[in-house]
Amino acid sequence: MTARRPLTALRSWRPFLGYAAGLVAGVAAWQLIGLNSASFVFVPLTTTLSSLGRLISGGTMPGALASSFSVYAAGEALAIVAGAAVGLLLARRPLLRTAFEPYLTALYAIPMVALIPFLLALVGLGFWPKVIVVWLFAFFPVEFSTQRGAQSISPELLDVARSYRTSERQTWRHVVIPYTLPYLMTGVRQALARGLVGMIAAEFFLSAGGLGSLLITQSEQFDTGGMLATTLVITLAGVILMAAGRAVERRFARWRVTS
Amino acid sequence: MNALAPGRDTDTPGGPAGIGGSGPADRRRERGQVLAVRAAAGLGIVAAWQVCAMALAPHYIARPLGILAQVPAVLGNQSFWSAAGSTLLAVAEGLIIAVVIGTAAGLVMGRLRDVDRAMRLYVDSFYAMPLVALIPLLTVWFGYTSAARLVVVVIEAMLPVIFSVAEGGRSLPAEFTDVARAYRAPWWRVWAGIVLPASLPYLLGGIDLAIGRALVGAVVAEFIASLNGLGYYILFNVRSFAEDKAMVALVVLVMFALAVRGFVSLFVRRRLPWYRDEASR
Repeated sequence: MTARRPLTALRSWRPFLGYAAGLVAGVAAWQLIGLNSASFVFVPLTTTLSSLGRLISGGTMPGALASSFSVYAAGEALAIVAGAAVGLLLARRPLLRTAFEPYLTALYAIPMVALIPFLLALVGLGFWPKVIVVWLFAFFPVEFSTQRGAQSISPELLDVARSYRTSERQTWRHVVIPYTLPYLMTGVRQALARGLVGMIAAEFFLSAGGLGSLLITQSEQFDTGGMLATTLVITLAGVILMAAGRAVERRFARWRVTS
Repeated sequence: MNALAPGRDTDTPGGPAGIGGSGPADRRRERGQVLAVRAAAGLGIVAAWQVCAMALAPHYIARPLGILAQVPAVLGNQSFWSAAGSTLLAVAEGLIIAVVIGTAAGLVMGRLRDVDRAMRLYVDSFYAMPLVALIPLLTVWFGYTSAARLVVVVIEAMLPVIFSVAEGGRSLPAEFTDVARAYRAPWWRVWAGIVLPASLPYLLGGIDLAIGRALVGAVVAEFIASLNGLGYYILFNVRSFAEDKAMVALVVLVMFALAVRGFVSLFVRRRLPWYRDEASR
């Protein structure tokens, strides 16, 4: 039976080897392709990392991150508040829902990037236009999820509340909001991802400052090392936000009422 | 209809209605009420838009009456349709390429755990990042050409397809492969006959996402690279203070998106009547 042990030991290493192989292959490919390409086409990983170091120490990257993050945070916060409010409102007031739901669904179908030129003409450049773009990207998933959640409250829960003569405000506090929170968090998770797309797209057009604008500048200067470094930072931001969104959604998923 | 008034039932074709009102005539009345409420709300929105635009905004801001006035001009314009066709073609081409490559990659990832683990880092990273951030890099590589737009569309569309198909492959019930093994089915039979059809619901979910993302990618690529297309048409007209025309193009863009998704769901209903949306569970 001792002959079995080496084999089982190897098998438990297999997942790690899988991940490691992928990482090593990627790093090797990056390095090799970079070394064999013209510097304005592709640069090796080492050059990318030194570009990143240069951007950070020179203050460019922290400045861009601060600008981007402030736009993103403002847009997301406003979108989540507005989306939750509208979603709850439409769920609890059937007349408003019947009246406005088709138009909201129609707006949801619009690719928001196509609205960016209109916004540019309407409100110009600067901080708030970018916030509006992020808001437009992030609002609809939050509204949709919240409304769907609040609409799915089973009538029995509301009947129990009513039989205890709960006021409207208490019904909201004790029934509607706790029930809807998991759905809201699903919407927030989607909004975090979409808002990031909006932020980058807005920064391409609506004034300097921010990671998207940095990318455009670097592309005009053919600073491919810098572009790859910036893309790496953006990817990291995306991964972190997606993980945060999933974590928040999971935390509140326990509150979901399953019939 | 009042059940207490005998004889009244005859003028409700299809069946009588109760006191509470759930017969066909009542349903028709309700539908009419819903339509009236929606039409009133829509009219209100449009009117508010028109009034606010006329009173507060500069003359070049889009407004409903202006948009309607420009519809014949835009739809009759040859260059508009060449732009629309350019975008449509790029998105369609990119979607087809993305679905083919994405399904293959997704199936491999879904069924071969080692490959899944090796590629997971890259698929997850690319899926989590805003892919529009790659567009400046792609314009350095491909120039301000439609090749850049096509690559953007392919990458944008491929990710959700890979993601969904891989998930489908991973969720394949073990009983299916057990039966195949019991019947000593060759590996290509298993893949083509079991894995692929079982992943179809996931694939279709991925395609639905891919259509939206592909459109976003195409539009942003056209913005940045000034390529002939609907996105650039919108940008150009807004910059030329012809926002009403740009709005007409936007509506066409949205209808195009809805049409493609409608086409996919029609295809599913016609060719795959056994399909049920299980992937959304």
